[in-house]
Amino acid sequence: MALVRIDGLHKHFGSNHVLKGINLKVERGEVVALIGRSGSGKSTLLRSINGLERFEDGLIEVDGERLHAGQTNLRDLRQKVGMVFQQFNLFPHLSAGQNVMLAPEVVKKLPKAECESIARAMLAKVGLAEKFDAYPDQLSGGQQQRVAIARALAMQPQVLLCDEITSALDPELVSEVLAVVKTLAAEGMTLVMVTHEMRFAREVGDTLVFMHEGRIHESGAPDTLFTRPRTPELANFIGSIH
Amino acid sequence: MNDISTWDVVRNLLDGVLWTLGLSLTAFVLGGLTGLALLFARIASTAWLRKLAKAYIEVFQGTPLLMQLFIIFFGSSLIGLELSPWLAAALGLTLFTSAYLGEIWRGCVESVPKGQWEASASLALSHFEQMRYVILPQALKIAIAPTVGFSVQVVKGTAVTSIIGFVELTKTGSMLANATYQPFLVFGLVALGYFALCYPLSVFSRRLERSAHGTRAH
Ligand SMILES: Nc1ncnc2c1ncn2[C@@H]1O[C@H](COP(=O)(O)OP(=O)(O)O)[C@@H](O)[C@H]1O
Ligand SMILES: [Mg+2]
Repeated sequence: MALVRIDGLHKHFGSNHVLKGINLKVERGEVVALIGRSGSGKSTLLRSINGLERFEDGLIEVDGERLHAGQTNLRDLRQKVGMVFQQFNLFPHLSAGQNVMLAPEVVKKLPKAECESIARAMLAKVGLAEKFDAYPDQLSGGQQQRVAIARALAMQPQVLLCDEITSALDPELVSEVLAVVKTLAAEGMTLVMVTHEMRFAREVGDTLVFMHEGRIHESGAPDTLFTRPRTPELANFIGSIH
Repeated sequence: MNDISTWDVVRNLLDGVLWTLGLSLTAFVLGGLTGLALLFARIASTAWLRKLAKAYIEVFQGTPLLMQLFIIFFGSSLIGLELSPWLAAALGLTLFTSAYLGEIWRGCVESVPKGQWEASASLALSHFEQMRYVILPQALKIAIAPTVGFSVQVVKGTAVTSIIGFVELTKTGSMLANATYQPFLVFGLVALGYFALCYPLSVFSRRLERSAHGTRAH
């Protein structure tokens, strides 16, 4: 059974119909790359999966946790879904280590010592073992984003959502973050990522999903989609970024 | 009535200063606690709680403190509840203070970037845990300067309670002015008393504001 199942998802912002019936399945260990023009609904779709956006119709299921339209109790679902944001959103008043420890301590109520060892392990995983005591404003953008990844991983999510996580970075810092994502993918982490890094999407993604005007316009193996797009919209999109 | 010496005047005024200070502290502490409850209500997910808190704040910010004191003092005796001037004054100033502090603090909470709410939500923290561990620690830093600044308003606000007969600094002053026929001297000293209470608070608040803008302490 699919790890993530999205059925007939509809979302409006006021009169703006942003998601027009999304159906998507993500298997365990699959890496899905979401692409599409700005405003096509990629972020909204991603944010619906962990309940950051409400939706009016449809169903989302993650590892057996069901999310209905208008549902407000999201604690169980959110423990299974990690998210990394474009703007990092680290907690500025906490050190890198404290950022990573917070949720295991507060939400999972694990003993402090255990949380600390989890945090050290996660920071080591993203190559920042020595930055445990550094505060966010003492870190580069790439380092902050890696801490954000470690923070999400500390909750041992079943799936990790990444929304353009390299878009706010200086070009020379992009690769260190992508390298971490690539490692996660290789380790079998289930990933759904919105990205403008087409080469990366093609290299790491198992499935490419092209969104257009609130719908999944085309999806399939990245190589196939890139070399033989079936729709003029995708062909156009690929043309516009090369 | 020239048997009242300047020393008597000063001694009585110092007494008044203490009552003013006591009333200010009471209103500030109780108003702060109520204001914190208002803050939580104001940003609660329950719509009626939000509306209730908003209405409360609008009523107390939208009417003069003097009217609030009159209504509490005379209204309470109307329903057979004889509040002493001290109790009426403390209650009135507490309500007044809570409305302003609640609103000041809401502004501080809302100035914490939305991404902080989203990141903590995505880590499965509950609303209360988000406030406790992520939002309030950041809002607190922003809140200190305007809160201390507002405390000056509370101190000055206590003067109004003299009208319902609470004997604080202003009331002491008017009684002494009547007794000594030296209103200029007496009220000059009264003003000096308020200044002595308020000036350090203003300076402190300004200094906090500067350091909040200048450094990014952790
Ligand atoms: N919070 C919001 N309020 C109103 N409209 C929004 C909001 N967020 C997104 N939208 C609108 O929803 C549409 C899809 O946006 P988004 O999901 O961010 O697209 P993408 O991530 O593909 O660029 C856009 O038309 C955008 O203007
Ligand atoms: Mg987006």
